Amino acid sequence: MHGYAIAQTIHLLSDEVLKVEEGSLYPALWRLELDGAISSKSGLSENNRKAKFYQITKHGQKLLAEQQATWTRLSAAVSRVLAG
Amino acid sequence: MQDELAFHREMSARQGNQIPLGNTAAIAEHGYDLWRFNFVENLWRDLVYSARGLRRSPLLVLAALVSLGLGVGVNATMFSLGSEFLFSQPSVHDASSLFYVRVAGSSHTSHQALEFLASSGLFADVAGENEEITANYNDGTETHPVSGVFTTKNYFTALGVPILHGRGIAPDDPNEVAVLSYAFWHRQFNGDPAVVGRTINLDGRMCTVVGILPEHHRGLIGFGYSPDIYLPRYLESTILAVYARLKPGMSIAAARAGAIAVAKRMDAQMPAADFKYAENVRVSAIAGYERLRTERDLMTVAAFFAMLLAVTGLVLLIACVNVASLLLARASVRRREIAIRLAIGASRGRLLQQLLADSLLLALLGAGLGLALAQAAAVLLARIHLPTPVPIRLQIEPDWRLVLYAAVLTTFSTLACGLLPAWQCMRESLAPGLHRESKMRLRRVLVAAQVAVSVIVLTTGLLFLRNLVHSSALSPGFDVRHTIFADVNLPPNGYSDVKRKAAYIDQVVNSLAALPGMESAAAARIVPFNGGTRFGSTLVFPDNGERAHAFFHWNAVTPQFFRAMDIPLLQGRTFSPADRSEMVVIVNPEFVRRYLGRRQPLGTVFLWGSEGKTPYRIIGVAEATKTTTIGEDQQPQLYEPLAQIDNDRQQIDFVMRSATPPALQLEAVRRTLHGIEPMAGAQVATMYSSIGLAFLPSQVGALLMGSTGVLGLLLASIGLYGVMAFSVARRTREIGVRVALGASRGHITRMVLKDSARLTVAGTAAGLLVTFLVTKPLAMFLVPGIKPTDPLNFVVVALAMLATGLAATWGPIRRAMSIDPNSALREE
Repeated sequence: MHGYAIAQTIHLLSDEVLKVEEGSLYPALWRLELDGAISSKSGLSENNRKAKFYQITKHGQKLLAEQQATWTRLSAAVSRVLAG
Repeated sequence: MQDELAFHREMSARQGNQIPLGNTAAIAEHGYDLWRFNFVENLWRDLVYSARGLRRSPLLVLAALVSLGLGVGVNATMFSLGSEFLFSQPSVHDASSLFYVRVAGSSHTSHQALEFLASSGLFADVAGENEEITANYNDGTETHPVSGVFTTKNYFTALGVPILHGRGIAPDDPNEVAVLSYAFWHRQFNGDPAVVGRTINLDGRMCTVVGILPEHHRGLIGFGYSPDIYLPRYLESTILAVYARLKPGMSIAAARAGAIAVAKRMDAQMPAADFKYAENVRVSAIAGYERLRTERDLMTVAAFFAMLLAVTGLVLLIACVNVASLLLARASVRRREIAIRLAIGASRGRLLQQLLADSLLLALLGAGLGLALAQAAAVLLARIHLPTPVPIRLQIEPDWRLVLYAAVLTTFSTLACGLLPAWQCMRESLAPGLHRESKMRLRRVLVAAQVAVSVIVLTTGLLFLRNLVHSSALSPGFDVRHTIFADVNLPPNGYSDVKRKAAYIDQVVNSLAALPGMESAAAARIVPFNGGTRFGSTLVFPDNGERAHAFFHWNAVTPQFFRAMDIPLLQGRTFSPADRSEMVVIVNPEFVRRYLGRRQPLGTVFLWGSEGKTPYRIIGVAEATKTTTIGEDQQPQLYEPLAQIDNDRQQIDFVMRSATPPALQLEAVRRTLHGIEPMAGAQVATMYSSIGLAFLPSQVGALLMGSTGVLGLLLASIGLYGVMAFSVARRTREIGVRVALGASRGHITRMVLKDSARLTVAGTAAGLLVTFLVTKPLAMFLVPGIKPTDPLNFVVVALAMLATGLAATWGPIRRAMSIDPNSALREE
């Protein structure tokens, strides 16, 4: 997906709760790319414009799994505290 | 990147949001940060900024450059000297595959043995040389001896020695060819290339010059030894040192095992009378670190250079502290600028980088200057003629090792100069105003440290200077003021017969003794400090069958030797012609002490000789003389009559004692020698001038360490001056107030002096303490009688330091005294 689409997807999937700060979207994407978590290639968008498309790598998926695990633990912990 | 952002804007515009990304400049900057090689860019920017800043303080730059230039220059020179002396690579092809092969435990062997080794097929190539040759060069008017090397004919081709003009000696050349060294070629033929192909007269033979060696040729021996002539071996008796090139893939251990096997075959097929070839076979590297490790004598020299580098490193430290102090002073001016940078958002690391750029620039320039100085020093050193019996030329060429060392020095200097000011600067900027006093204290501590280090360096220098003075006063055991020394090299033709040599020697000794003003004359194989032969052999005492394994310095002399050299005979008598009937020797007290035990020396007989069966009787005991260096312990010595030995060497020394000043007799001696045998090359000099080699180590040590000490003192005094000047400037207001309130000029002077004295005394005390703890190991370089912990040294150094401190403070004191209270109170 290209950068704009990523921002839109996050916005939509979260039921319009989460809105990506567009000023920091691209630096974040570039940093992820330098770290090797995502890879990019040029391509044509839906309306035939040149755009850069990003895709997650194996290393990125590992990182994602780690972050997901952390998030799950964190949210579970917060819920428990609030419940108790 | 911009395209990506533009695309985003376009897509967003469709949804109605024209400006989704806000300030793209910030995003762009983030991107640049991530992608570009920021480090290099920032570094460049910092350097340019530093350069502009430094341009505004030319005095600071000058002081820093002088300090660092001298510091780095001295270090680089010492490093080059050390690495050239210890690690120089000989000028051959692939030196790492060449090895020095020794059989029968001796350094040289016969040419038959060499040929046996070569034909065994064990090595890829075998060549040999004898580098102790003296040839007589007759230039048409005079004959004088030149140092030379006899080589096997395949020497140049097997070793791959580079040639400047012409070619090396070829395996199918006749014996009458020669290759000249660059220095000899320049000296005798003014560097005329047409000399190749001409013939020159060597030892009476007309040899064709086939080639000239390049200027930077280095021989296999190393240590700067550079002989004048290379000749093919043509005498049967010449012994050769064997150098072999290993076949590819062969290890040293395998080579040694193979050599032992070949040596065993040598023992079987061509046995030698006195020794076994297969006993004590060694294969060792010819250059580099490997060689250093296996030759133990070199380790002392290596230790000396290591110490030298340590001391010059300390000098560089002093210089760096100077620069650090200067930069500290400057840092206070930049406080506001640093504060602003921090406020805008510079990271600490970035700031540190920028502050270090100052010292990096200075260090780079200083190192450049230092390398230039080192190069100039190298050129000077190459011209120095050392008073050695063989020509030694130290050629120092800059190579990657020196550059690497200089880079290390630069890094070290940068950090040493810059870290402290940079850190201080940042600390201050974060909490301004609180640290004013402590910065001054930091600089003062630095100066005290400089003084301490300078004390260490100065003490070392003083030690070596005293060493030189003391060693000049040591007695060598014989008279050097009234004696003349002539070193004669006989041409091989006509003098290979021992009887002929003996007749010549007799004629010369009688003629020389007959010269007006001459008291006595004698001939000897060896004169102390100009060569030596150490024997290790077994002596058998027939009275009780005791066997003693003896090491002693050997010499063969004519009867008048002891009188000519003024060596007292403690017991017995000198040789006489009547001694022809038996073998007699004269020994010295150390020999008696070590090997004779309880026996009375006179009349004692021991069995010695090649078979170990010949009886020798001791007929006298002579006072000991020094043999190699002036600082050595007493060595056992043994003298034989010259007439008693098989005199197989072409070289003979004559010593004469003159009642008139020896320098006036030199010409007469030369004429006498020339009259008796014009073809013999002779070098005649007063004994005083020819024992220069004995003092060479002390002289070198004193020169190097003494100058380093002075340099350290100079740098420390500059540092002290800087701090005191700054201190006075800072206290201008205070001094102005005091003067206004009625303080006398003496009072002000005392105030400043007390301040400076506190620094100097503290530094000196610390330095003396460290010196006391650290200089014990130096004793190995000093002659006996000079102790590193001699209290006199400490007193002298302390006084010198205090005096220097006083001198350095004089300027600031005068400035303080001239402070006008009116203007002082008005300024801020």
